[in-house]
Amino acid sequence: MHMADALVAPAVAGTMYVCSGAAMGYSIKKVRLANEPKKIPVMGVMGAFVFASQMINFTIPGTGSSGHLCGGMMLSAILGPEAGFLTMFGVLLVQCLLFADGGLLALGCNVWNMAFYGCFLGAMVLWKLFMKKGMTRKKIIGASVAGCVLTLQLGAFSVALETLASGVTELPFGVFVAAMQPIHLAIGLVEGLITAAVLVFIYEARPELLWGSENFLAEEKREGRMSYKGTVGVLLAAAIVIGGLVSLAASSKPDGLEWSMERIAKTAELEAEGRAYEAAGKVQETTALLPDYGWKNSSSATGTSFSGILGGSLVIGLCVFACYLLRFFRGREKKE
Amino acid sequence: MSKLKKAIQDIHLSDVSQKGQRGRGRGEAGSGAEISLHPLAYLLVTFFYLLLVVSFSKYDLSGLLSMVLYLLILGIGREIRLREALRHTWPVLLLVSMVGIANPFVEREICWQWGEVGISYGIISMLTLMLKGIFCVMASYLLVMGTGMEGICLGLRSLHLPKELVAVVFLIYRYLIVLLKEAERMVLAYKLRAPGQKGIHFKVWGSFLGLLLLRSMDRAQTVYESMLLRGYQGEIRGREFRGSKGRSVAYVCLWAVALFFLRVVPVFELVGALLP
Amino acid sequence: MIRIENLTFAYDNRIPVLHDLSLAVQEGEAVGLIGANGAGKSTLLKLLAGIGGDYQGKAQVCGMELCKKNLTAIRAKLGYVFQDSESQLFLSTVYEDVAFGPRNYGYTGEEADRRVMDALKKVHLEGLKDRQIYRMSGGEKKLASIATILSMKPDVMLLDEPSVALDPGNRRNLIHILNEIRETKIIASHDLDMIWDTCSRTVLLCGGRIVKDGSTEEILRDRKLLEDHGLELPLSLTGRG
Repeated sequence: MHMADALVAPAVAGTMYVCSGAAMGYSIKKVRLANEPKKIPVMGVMGAFVFASQMINFTIPGTGSSGHLCGGMMLSAILGPEAGFLTMFGVLLVQCLLFADGGLLALGCNVWNMAFYGCFLGAMVLWKLFMKKGMTRKKIIGASVAGCVLTLQLGAFSVALETLASGVTELPFGVFVAAMQPIHLAIGLVEGLITAAVLVFIYEARPELLWGSENFLAEEKREGRMSYKGTVGVLLAAAIVIGGLVSLAASSKPDGLEWSMERIAKTAELEAEGRAYEAAGKVQETTALLPDYGWKNSSSATGTSFSGILGGSLVIGLCVFACYLLRFFRGREKKE
Repeated sequence: MSKLKKAIQDIHLSDVSQKGQRGRGRGEAGSGAEISLHPLAYLLVTFFYLLLVVSFSKYDLSGLLSMVLYLLILGIGREIRLREALRHTWPVLLLVSMVGIANPFVEREICWQWGEVGISYGIISMLTLMLKGIFCVMASYLLVMGTGMEGICLGLRSLHLPKELVAVVFLIYRYLIVLLKEAERMVLAYKLRAPGQKGIHFKVWGSFLGLLLLRSMDRAQTVYESMLLRGYQGEIRGREFRGSKGRSVAYVCLWAVALFFLRVVPVFELVGALLP
Repeated sequence: MIRIENLTFAYDNRIPVLHDLSLAVQEGEAVGLIGANGAGKSTLLKLLAGIGGDYQGKAQVCGMELCKKNLTAIRAKLGYVFQDSESQLFLSTVYEDVAFGPRNYGYTGEEADRRVMDALKKVHLEGLKDRQIYRMSGGEKKLASIATILSMKPDVMLLDEPSVALDPGNRRNLIHILNEIRETKIIASHDLDMIWDTCSRTVLLCGGRIVKDGSTEEILRDRKLLEDHGLELPLSLTGRG
């Protein structure tokens, strides 16, 4: 589920940073408005908790494999969607820096794929919908499983979209999606069950810890309208982002899907390919950081030759030598 | 459990390397743990590097290869073990290869012939992708090894990221190891009484994690109290930067120029062409 | 320094945990707070630090009424050492954590540095200032958490079970350090030997009431009194130790 840096093109990374940044701005505003300094340490410790719990293997009955807990839903169910989102950001940042899960560049994508869907769609929409008329054991289970499945499906689909838009794989989009979705359906189910198990336990032990519990205890209806507005906003944002991604995919690879299909079928006409190359070249000229496709007859590809490798090893050798020399002298200086 | 142990080990590792960093820093400037360059400088350069690496065309193998120079200079210069960094990259390599594995089958056109062996465009694009994966992970790794998580938090703060966010990142980092160890103890206690089980049985999923969660919440409460009693007002004031600002700016500028040069000029090709 | 009169406290309006307590502590005094589990020692300490909740009765700390509007001023003069050092130390290195308090009170640069180093010297941890907290032993963590309080130069120190889970050597070391600290101290503990060595005055709590308040000498030698309230004579006084 974690996108690696290598899988995203700069333009995709930038777009997703902007999207996640917007969600972040909204969350920060909300959290500040709530003004609960007490929540900060809870967020930190809960983030660490999600991290630690994801390292524990839980056996799935009947199979030899194991699953773990779904962070976004879990955190939102305790902290609320906004604080949950901020915490997920923290978790993903630490994860990419310390454990090489994901990457700094792909952070925007990962925050979107995992935190946004989990916290805003999973919790803000689904969880609220389920808990509208009070909390019960069954509703918690239902909301957790539905939320996790939905989150993971959307996340997996976004991963496929982002990869396509970055143009790193020759895998046809259809095949990629067909591979991603069912796997993540299974993962979503398991993660949902684990998350449900934990939340039910909390519900029975200390229900006041769950998000929204005070609402149904106090029977407040005022919240309902606020959340409706929020829901619409979230859906709108999601639509814009998905639309943006699709158009991005179209612009960076003018004939995207068909092109890869044709390649498999080996029926592409040379002329058509030539035109595609020209179009891509133009797009590339205007946006230098878009993934360029280095079409077959471009100099960079044919330049990859023996002389290139030879030159490369020479430069690397010199560079390493110079570094060690510098270090040697610096070490002597210090001793003196 | 191996995953838990590995995570704990990883954190220890990042901390050990930093200690070396601190040891050297101490001689130069006052007290506390500081590094001579502002962490933001490292952060910016790393980010720029990642952008450039990713922006290479998928067939430009030799151009991409020249970006290794940055890693080498940084790794050797700061005495960070590059082999350890490489070990760090393999999970990403696996993921990236899974995505790129289709390329050699789809693009079979031969790019260049090496005697009997022909290398296709697909293979080149797959190699490029894998290399990008390795470079990106190593660059991030060098960043963490060089500045540590506290440094990164300081860097984020000077980027004017919300203080709440930085505080949360900081606390996650601090309590990660505590909770990992707690989870490890719990898993051990479970295993000792449930021999032969591979993971946690589904019947205790809820109570196992739930108890860990409740304990974590209680801890968060105490942490909050302890912060309050020492004058906490919404911001964790971490390490102060006492190094040289000018040098940090110079560092960023120099690397930006050098990296951009490597990105634009096919250095390896040119040097190769000069050879007889 | 501390004066409470007829203090009563209950969690969430349930059965009171503290009943009608009255106590006065003078400047520079070291008071041991003893009693069985659940006697209300920790609750009392937390109340004094203003993190317990609402109470009935009168309480004054450092000459100020213990209420919401004075909390910031009171907390600046009062240090609280938690039982669990892991919760007290929430930053990554010893230096950073000890500097947290001073920085929050507006000390930066040289002054903050001086305060941190002074505090670390008092607990003999100067050598470990750059140590990562999770790499420290339990004893070192306890001393570090005391240093985090000392760096704020408090007038009153409240310590909750400081000697718990320390080995004999570390415990002895802790006692020395506590005796070197001249500020007013209230130490809640079951470790009566430590109270014997550090406090001149002792208050015995039972079921949320003060059973006896007097000199340590007098209370800790009273075998019957202690055994009636779930405690035992300190080992050093039984002749066994």
